[in-house]
Amino acid sequence: MRNLDPVDVAVVGQSLTAAAREMGAKLVRSAYSTVVREARDASAAIVDARGNTVAQAELIPIQLGSIGETLRPCLARFPAETLEDGDILVNNDPYQGGQHLQDVFIFSPIFVEGRVIAFAASVAHHLDLGGGAAGLNNSASDLYQEGIVIPPSRFNLPRDWNGGPFERFLAANVRVPAQTIGDFNAQLAANRVGAARVAELARRHGAATVTAVMDAMLDYAERRVRAAIAALPDGRYEGEDWLDDDGVGEEPVRVHVAITKAGETLDIDYAGTAPQVARNINAPFASTVSATLSCLKLVLTGPDVPFNEGAKRPITIRAPLGSLLNPRHPAPVRARMEPCYRAFGALMQALGKAAPERVMAAGYDTTTAIALSRLGPAGWQVHLDIHGGGWGARADGDGEDGIAGPLGNCANTPAEVVDAEYGYFRIAEYGLRPGSAGAGCHRGGTGLRRVFQMTEDNVGFALYADRFKLAPRGLAGGVDGWPARCFVERDGTTIPFRSKAAMTLRRGDRLVLETAGGAGHGPATARSNEAIFHDVEEGLVGDG
Amino acid sequence: MAMTRNLDPADYAVISQALQAIGREMGAKLVRSAYSTVVREARDASAALTDRHGHVIAQAELIPMQLGSIGATIQPCLERFPVETLEPGDFLITNDPYHGGQHLQDVFIFTPIFVDGRVVGFSASIAHHLDLGGGNPGLNASSRDVYQEGIIIPPSKYSERRDWNGGGLERLIAANVRVPGQTIGDFYAQFAANHIGAARGAQLCARYGTDTVEATMAELQDYAERRVRAAIAALPDGTYVGEDALDDRWGDGGTLTVRATITVKGDTLAVDFKGTAGQVACHVNAPFASTVSATLSCLKAVLTGPDVPFNEGAKRPITVTAPYGSILNPRPPAPVRARMNSAYRAYGAVMRALGQAAPDRVVAQGYDTTWAAALSYLTPDGYKVHLDILGGGLGAGSRSDGCDAVDGPLSNCSNTPIEVLDMDFDAYRATAYELVADSGGAGVHRGGAGYRRAYAVVTDGVNFATYADRFQRAPQGLAGGRPGASALCRVRRDGQVIDAAINTGMILAKGDTVEFITGGGGGHGDGRARPRGQLAEDIADGLVSEAAARRDYGLALGAD
Amino acid sequence: MRVGVEVGGTFTDLVAIDGGTVRVAKVPSVPRRPDEGAFQALQAGKLDLGAIKDLVHGSTVGTNAVLERKGARVAFLTTAGFRDLLFLQRHDRRNIYDLAYRKPTPVVRRRDCYEVPERMLADGTAERPFDAAAFERDVIPRLKAAGYEAVSVCLLNAYANPAHEEAVRDLVRRHLPGASITISSDVTREFREYERASTTTLAAYLQPVIAGYLARFEDTLGRHGFKGRFSVMQSNGGRLPAEGMRRNAITSLFSGPAAGVMGAARQAGLSGYANLITFDMGGTSTDVCLVENGRPSLAAETDIDGLPVRLPVLDIVTVGAGGGSIIWCDEGGMLRVGPESAGADPGPACYGRGGRRPTITDAHVARGTIRPDALLGGNLRIDAAAAASALAPIAEAFGLSPEDMADSALRVAEANIVRAIQLVTTERARDPRDFVLVPFGGAGPLHAAKVAADLGVGTIVVPPNAGVISAYGLIASDFVHYDTMTRRIALDDGAPAAVAEVFRAMRDGARARFEALGLARSACYTFALQMRFVGQAFELPVEVDAERAERLTVAELAELFGKVHESIFFHGAGTGRPIEIVAYRLGIVAPQTDVPALTEGGGDAGRTGDFALYDNRERQTGRLMARGALAHGVALAGPALLEDPTATVYVPRGWTARHDSHDNLVMTRG
Repeated sequence: MRNLDPVDVAVVGQSLTAAAREMGAKLVRSAYSTVVREARDASAAIVDARGNTVAQAELIPIQLGSIGETLRPCLARFPAETLEDGDILVNNDPYQGGQHLQDVFIFSPIFVEGRVIAFAASVAHHLDLGGGAAGLNNSASDLYQEGIVIPPSRFNLPRDWNGGPFERFLAANVRVPAQTIGDFNAQLAANRVGAARVAELARRHGAATVTAVMDAMLDYAERRVRAAIAALPDGRYEGEDWLDDDGVGEEPVRVHVAITKAGETLDIDYAGTAPQVARNINAPFASTVSATLSCLKLVLTGPDVPFNEGAKRPITIRAPLGSLLNPRHPAPVRARMEPCYRAFGALMQALGKAAPERVMAAGYDTTTAIALSRLGPAGWQVHLDIHGGGWGARADGDGEDGIAGPLGNCANTPAEVVDAEYGYFRIAEYGLRPGSAGAGCHRGGTGLRRVFQMTEDNVGFALYADRFKLAPRGLAGGVDGWPARCFVERDGTTIPFRSKAAMTLRRGDRLVLETAGGAGHGPATARSNEAIFHDVEEGLVGDG
Repeated sequence: MAMTRNLDPADYAVISQALQAIGREMGAKLVRSAYSTVVREARDASAALTDRHGHVIAQAELIPMQLGSIGATIQPCLERFPVETLEPGDFLITNDPYHGGQHLQDVFIFTPIFVDGRVVGFSASIAHHLDLGGGNPGLNASSRDVYQEGIIIPPSKYSERRDWNGGGLERLIAANVRVPGQTIGDFYAQFAANHIGAARGAQLCARYGTDTVEATMAELQDYAERRVRAAIAALPDGTYVGEDALDDRWGDGGTLTVRATITVKGDTLAVDFKGTAGQVACHVNAPFASTVSATLSCLKAVLTGPDVPFNEGAKRPITVTAPYGSILNPRPPAPVRARMNSAYRAYGAVMRALGQAAPDRVVAQGYDTTWAAALSYLTPDGYKVHLDILGGGLGAGSRSDGCDAVDGPLSNCSNTPIEVLDMDFDAYRATAYELVADSGGAGVHRGGAGYRRAYAVVTDGVNFATYADRFQRAPQGLAGGRPGASALCRVRRDGQVIDAAINTGMILAKGDTVEFITGGGGGHGDGRARPRGQLAEDIADGLVSEAAARRDYGLALGAD
Repeated sequence: MRVGVEVGGTFTDLVAIDGGTVRVAKVPSVPRRPDEGAFQALQAGKLDLGAIKDLVHGSTVGTNAVLERKGARVAFLTTAGFRDLLFLQRHDRRNIYDLAYRKPTPVVRRRDCYEVPERMLADGTAERPFDAAAFERDVIPRLKAAGYEAVSVCLLNAYANPAHEEAVRDLVRRHLPGASITISSDVTREFREYERASTTTLAAYLQPVIAGYLARFEDTLGRHGFKGRFSVMQSNGGRLPAEGMRRNAITSLFSGPAAGVMGAARQAGLSGYANLITFDMGGTSTDVCLVENGRPSLAAETDIDGLPVRLPVLDIVTVGAGGGSIIWCDEGGMLRVGPESAGADPGPACYGRGGRRPTITDAHVARGTIRPDALLGGNLRIDAAAAASALAPIAEAFGLSPEDMADSALRVAEANIVRAIQLVTTERARDPRDFVLVPFGGAGPLHAAKVAADLGVGTIVVPPNAGVISAYGLIASDFVHYDTMTRRIALDDGAPAAVAEVFRAMRDGARARFEALGLARSACYTFALQMRFVGQAFELPVEVDAERAERLTVAELAELFGKVHESIFFHGAGTGRPIEIVAYRLGIVAPQTDVPALTEGGGDAGRTGDFALYDNRERQTGRLMARGALAHGVALAGPALLEDPTATVYVPRGWTARHDSHDNLVMTRG
């Protein structure tokens, strides 16, 4: 390894990570849409010139795990050495390293003495990118119905943005142009910050040093991950998990994984996973990769290990083309988080066989997206809410209550913000869901309950979620969590929804969402009395 | 009528003829180098030359609806990108219904014609693109806003060298459409037409001098204006009201009236659509540019002979207004894909109003409907999309029968030959294509016959989306003529017959058949007064049944 | 002796060549009985029919039969479900703002259309096999009952596999031995059912008419001692023996214009001119055609009276600009010339036959380029006063002097011709300046110089006896037959072999056809591939050397096609887009050896003198002489007029004319 001054490594390394964090903060703070500025469904990173993530703002694991996958198709078409000042690379194509269309990745080359030494990367989930319905189109049967596709592209800011054709094209094709363009500007601002910081570092320490440190950081992460893998017993471990259904039929949909551990390397193979489905719960391969890495990092390494491309080197990941985890173009992918969570679950199960003490019981582990939209005289208003639930219990502790799932990290949208922003509905209730947690020596986390009260007619409602039928499974004798449910109360009657649904709501409707609790770990009989009393006093144990 | 400019009559005649020739060549080459069946077979495309102000000078007479609105479409582009700021290699492009466009599928491309570094005019081409993304291949019957209808290209300026030919715009469009090979190919055909127009236009200026050519362009518009003013002046001054209506199913049950109030005053004419139904939730709304285009097409057809060029000058004596928020001038982002059918009702209302001013000039209602049917399916190598544009019978006039089985007056799409369908698509097969007896309304002059076209589906999972009109309201006759037959769409599935709605989508399975039975035209005059010889011919040719002959033409029993 | 007899709308022309002597005759046509007119021409030429060893005939019989709907009673047979093909047509309108629009009227009635129980698919497999029993039971009796003279059969996708059509043909032939039967796969194997059905039906419609006409004419000839070879002109520029034509009647459509092109090409060729724009201006219209390397270009499609004809015909563009074209001012104040024509009757005002409206001929008279004493064909008298008074009103309307009016009108007419020429040159990516202009027909040589100047063409070649060059073209034409066929293949490594196979099959078929006519010896071939980018619908013809047809490479085909596409559509060359070959056109040619030359013959030197004319807004004095009196090699500077009994040549100021050794009058600028 290069003879680098360890002080440089430490200082520059920290600075790079700090730069990424600052980018993330600026991105969220200057954003316009609630989904970015409140739910923080966005991420930022510093990526080296070859497209390897070096440092990142730890916001949304699923977005971060595959930034390299997203940048490389851009570089293949527009090599770094051909880029000019003011250029950006943009990509949201799920079939070219992207996630779902709403996650738009923007990469700004960082020039030092006319040479690209790295990229500032940001990604944000955009509220509406057109497509078949405001915010979320559950009935999409192909990618084209989900919104605008931006293939790996190169644009020039002075020319194509700031009133230029690309900005105008985007604005013309989205339902809430002010917010979408605003969020793009937030991404660009974040990238500018990152670029400035890295350029500064290069000035102070020399470009060569900075790039060398980047390499060192990748190598470091690789070493740590290899060590962690080596600690596992060699062997082949299988796991599986199931989705409620494909959004059309009633049959559960299977995700299967086989992990082969040999020395310092892991091979992850999703053969045996169900074929792709007709609706939007397919995961583009980049998402599958990202989910896999996130799970492995969670289980194998401590938080202190930087999560970058180096961590990936000892790991190979495969999924059959045409399967749920690697669909063929142009299958829809909007709800790709659900199969990713099941991949996560299947991996957990498999890893549990190798390192029982490290894994957790199943949590809600589901992204619950609710879009509430309305077309008023002044145009569209769109609200997107992402909900978590209870985490699974661990061998060494209870699952966390009412929190975002492990692959996502979206905050809730404060009721006050909703009241301030949207005139057509209100948050009528928001709380934990007593009794939803699975009992166990360590109990699962408690699910959430959120009630939306419609105050206008013609409110478009769309939902995707999972685990309405199949509850989070307990581990080591722990009890399952309660499954999630969603229904609307309309003049006395109750209209239940399946986990992928859409409907037009009217004034007075109460939309009730109750997310699942995490499953317990170990027999409930082994739980300490204090803990039980505590839960009772806190009112977390429901009466059934 | 003398010329307003000091132009040599020979120069003027020669150059104006040359300009027309350029328009024609552009149109021919656009169609012949296109890829999609909708452009290359149905010829749902147009081309024209404009002056530097974007005023149409000469056009390839293909689709009236597209041609009538070229001016309205280029203006928003020129407002944002003034002509003097354009550079060689630039082009202007838009398909935005709320900036002078029609529906998203009609993409307008304008290429400036440079002579000695100055723009003397534009070559313009329009093509209906088979699929521009959106909620469903080819057409999305369930759109509730324009975003669900496909990608929107706002009035924009791009550089062909930089943004096309593998550049950003080409790749962006290719990534967002279901049949990129055909769509990008059709764009190339549009560019080809524009290049030809630009080259020929420049040659013309080189040959006769830019000043003379531009003077001719200006004179041609004054010429058309004079002709139209003369025609208007021949009408009695006054106010005339006409009405037509879409089928109720387009709205929520009420009658969707389209009302035109025409005011003729001297040599000017004003059309106001006050009293027209409000916009609806589905895609039958007509953007204002479509309304204007439909109105002008009707006025042109009724008032002037075919030799009057249809250019911006012809519009000067005419004003068109429609209430904002009405079905003929909707608020964004209302969906507009099926705008033709509201436009046709505007056409019908104007025709009826004119009938009071010039009874012998107008014709009975024809089927006057654009019936679009998209059949598509996903194969391992991507989507296959076919779009049929169906017409019907034309209305009869005071001098002649209505034409049988032809596209409507606002459009001019050809059918797609069965042998082309057989060659390009393997999921369904045409099983019938024939005239429908008794579909033309009886009259001294018979309305044109509608026709029946049927497909048998031979593989599962064929996506069928369609919109039409006049399933409920038949085309009315004139001066005692009887109405033509209304239209009908049937799907046959294992014994069952499903009557499809005027605006619907469904997935077809192997063994299904789809049947389109289009409407006929209304008759003109009392059928009992139709010359018996002509009646006998119709009977012998099976276009009129004996029963109908007795009922509608008063054919005596046993007579022949 | 070789004789060509060309029956035109107004005149019937004759050229007889016997060794060195050339005889020409021009007699009025007999529209009702063209063969009589033709025979009268033979008599007017005072020919001994027994001495004619080669008689070639061209006529408008086919064209007129269609225009006047005087063809056979035809039954149309097509695939079940599609009997209305000929009435539905393509569902579009030619005039988009015409409220009273009518489609072109087919030559069969709907009641005469029948359906055949069968369905062939694009790949040549039968989805529904031909049900012969049902056909014999349901259709045959009705055909018999109606007693048709001709039957036209066009089944869907028969271009891909003609088996069903052939089965139908055999059955019908068995049951209706008297009727002539035409199947689409014999006539043209191109896809698009309406266009093919229209072509097939027109063929069937003309078959009995042409056959009958030729039989009558041959009979007359026979009774007058004719023993030579009798052949007939086709629209593709070649001729066929009469017996061959009886099976190919439709190829005689448009044979008139074709003959002129062949004559002009042959005659100009003698002087070494191989790249020509021919320009035939008669009484009502002008036909222009492009000739490259001595070969006229072919068009794959044309139409007659709005009805499509998909057969290789000479790529001739016609505009309504002729000597009889009316000069008028439309109600918007625009100067117009044509398309309306005074025709042969009443004809131009100056003919003194009651014509009152000014025509192009009157304009020439008014400015002096047609002399009052000119010997126009048919020896007409010219009434200059009538011409002047016809022009007066319109001249007044434009505030011009009669001469200026005439000058302007002629410019407009010439511009119409220029546009027609641009259609076959510029729009086909040819530069007119690379060609020489070959004017003929009564009025062609009068306008040639102005047209040439407009196009930037520097050389004009006026053939001798330019007014009857069509009749000479008959004698000069080769025996030609074309076959087309559709077989779609991708341009990949398999293509060359497939092309070679198609070529061999087509060549052998064509050779057999010619052997049957006793023509196969000395036959040679032309071969063109109809190619397009995959996904396009319209093919571009790519000519390949028949010698190499069996040894082509993918690379050279791709390059050839790319060039053609680029030249016409301004894009396409070098793009990686996949290419396919869709159809093929093979021509078989039995060339004429020892074709005699046409000569001018002597002229009356006594007519030589000066004359006054008005051109380019000024009065001028020019030389006037009989064309035959201009000796070889002598340069004549414009302004000048050269007259012969068939046409008048106008040499404007700035042009020089000289006769070359082949009696071609070569005009050059400066």
